[in-house]
Amino acid sequence: MPERTRSLTAAKLSADHLATALAPRSSSPTGKSLSVTGLCKSYGGTTVVDGVDMDIAAGEFVTFLGSSGSGKTTTLMMLAGFTEPDSGAIAVDGRDITKLNPGKRDFGFVFQQYLLFPHMTVAENVAFPLTLRGVPKAEIRRRVGETLEAAGLSKFAGRKPRELSGGQQQRVALCRVLVYRPPIVLMDEPLGALDKRLRDQMQTEIKSIQRELGLTVVYVTHDQEEALVLSDRIAIMKDGRIEQFDTPRGLFERPRTPFVADFLGAANFLTGNVEEGGADDCTRVRLDTGGVLTARAHPCMPGQSVRAAVRPGKLRLVGAEEGCCSGTVETAVYVGSLTRITVRLDGGAPGTQPLRIETAAVPPRPGERVCVTADRDDVSVFDATDGG
Amino acid sequence: MAGTALAPGKVRVKTSAMRGHRSRLALVNAVPVTVFLLVLFVYPIIGVLSLSLKGDSGAFTLHWYADALSGVNLSVLLSTLRISAETAVLSLLVGFVLAHAIARMRPAFAALAMLIVVVPHFISALVRTYGWIIMLGEHGLINTLLISLHVPGAPFSLLYNETGVVIGTTSVMLPYTVLVLQGVMRGVDGRLLAAAAGFGASRFTIFRRIYLPLVAPGIGTAGLLSFILCLGYYITPALMGGGKQTVVAALIDQQVMQQDQWNSAAAFGVILLLLTFAGLGGLGLAKLRHKKAAARRSSS
Repeated sequence: MPERTRSLTAAKLSADHLATALAPRSSSPTGKSLSVTGLCKSYGGTTVVDGVDMDIAAGEFVTFLGSSGSGKTTTLMMLAGFTEPDSGAIAVDGRDITKLNPGKRDFGFVFQQYLLFPHMTVAENVAFPLTLRGVPKAEIRRRVGETLEAAGLSKFAGRKPRELSGGQQQRVALCRVLVYRPPIVLMDEPLGALDKRLRDQMQTEIKSIQRELGLTVVYVTHDQEEALVLSDRIAIMKDGRIEQFDTPRGLFERPRTPFVADFLGAANFLTGNVEEGGADDCTRVRLDTGGVLTARAHPCMPGQSVRAAVRPGKLRLVGAEEGCCSGTVETAVYVGSLTRITVRLDGGAPGTQPLRIETAAVPPRPGERVCVTADRDDVSVFDATDGG
Repeated sequence: MAGTALAPGKVRVKTSAMRGHRSRLALVNAVPVTVFLLVLFVYPIIGVLSLSLKGDSGAFTLHWYADALSGVNLSVLLSTLRISAETAVLSLLVGFVLAHAIARMRPAFAALAMLIVVVPHFISALVRTYGWIIMLGEHGLINTLLISLHVPGAPFSLLYNETGVVIGTTSVMLPYTVLVLQGVMRGVDGRLLAAAAGFGASRFTIFRRIYLPLVAPGIGTAGLLSFILCLGYYITPALMGGGKQTVVAALIDQQVMQQDQWNSAAAFGVILLLLTFAGLGGLGLAKLRHKKAAARRSSS
């Protein structure tokens, strides 16, 4: 395994080199903006993508995050031009490209399956897009050499793709795209086939290249952590729709739907009714289990039944405080930096989930009586009719 | 490179040791096949070889080879080679178009199309050849059609000459080329072609730089297969060549059946065998050179 370790370190060092080597010689920014309106696609009566709207700024890293079947890959394939949308429009820097062939869009593509040409060497693979663009031979040789050098792949230039490891192949695929500096790069789970360590490594590389070159990247993944590490903004997809399109922090702290609240990190859901007399900028919820939670303002009528969502790390254990929810600790598991405890609330209907709480403080023991509350900014309120 | 050279070396030692162990077992398994091949393959070939080197008195002679490679016999040999080459090229061209169409069909239709290509092969070669004779004759279907379409020069003589022979042999070889090519074409990952299109490659460029190189091994194999099969093919050339157009197989038949000249026939047989080996060797050499050229190109 020393060979492996060496190549990993080499790659780590090379990420910045790659970005520098690829930096455009002209001063124009590389990335372009992308805007999508009302994109729809259905296959045999099943709607796969159902009205996707989004504006992506030049140089932005945007990720479609969702489970399989959420329509994220189909959306990407429509952006790429490999799939024709039933309706909707795609524009690059304001120019409509909906009807354009994939090759005419001048995008870069990186796929999960690498899709290197097996009969060409690594160098020939990387040179391929350049030869199509009529770049002079000497120039091609120089740019391919620089790119491979920067990616730490020089010694593999003469090898066939099948002689390379998965990580190396994916790096070649990345070189093959970056070498012709497309303004927009689309990536479909490019790291899906790699092991965890290599994936972390490649994430860093991709992110630093993207930032350095100011590329616009649209990325598809089902891995939350990957999405959080890479993205400027994340579009959470479900059933062909974008549930929420926001920064990682925005998604985490202000989920717009119960699905988002639960999908990104876990959430405790508590049912209750809106109380009268809350201040203007907040909503007070009287919980069915007893106790009151104060939440950020949510447009709703007094008396309306709602669900309040709080992340496990945001629930606080307090002494007897006004409005807190009392319950009994069921389990307490120490997992290193913090303790995961579950609390059964006193008024909870049988069969309901106990509250999940994460605390770094000295945890109570199972069977102990506790009182739970949360800060206003950590509570999200959803209409009881919202799914998720 | 120097750093990595050690590791693969170690691996190779390990596998060769394993191979040694496995080969001893394989040897036992190979006994029936070896006996079968020795009795039914090697022994007859040695028999033919010794026959071709024996004079009337039983002494060693190269007379039969000298005879086979001179005069009329040589021209028959050359025309056999030419017909085989023409057949190989023609069946590759037609086979490529057919196989390409079939490879792109939906599975159900592809199976049906393959059946249509292969089924004629189940019918006796004699029947098929007479079928062609009816089609290609001066008053046959094709010439009648061409005349009614007022094609200049019609009727063409499509029978009892080299054209007729090549049409016939091509139809015989077509299923082989289609089968081989279609297998290779099915194996081409369509996403590679889509990826190339994504980089901005035109359809022609994709065909030339991605598709063709990927199916090239199949083209070589299919071409060589039909060439080799055609070298020794008998019925179709004999019937459609109409006596004027003789091939080596017909010559062998003539010598055994009419002149009882086994030694000369054996010499022709050996020459055909050597030509087949030469063809196989040529293909192997081409592949090797291609590999070397690729290595040289990338190392520079």
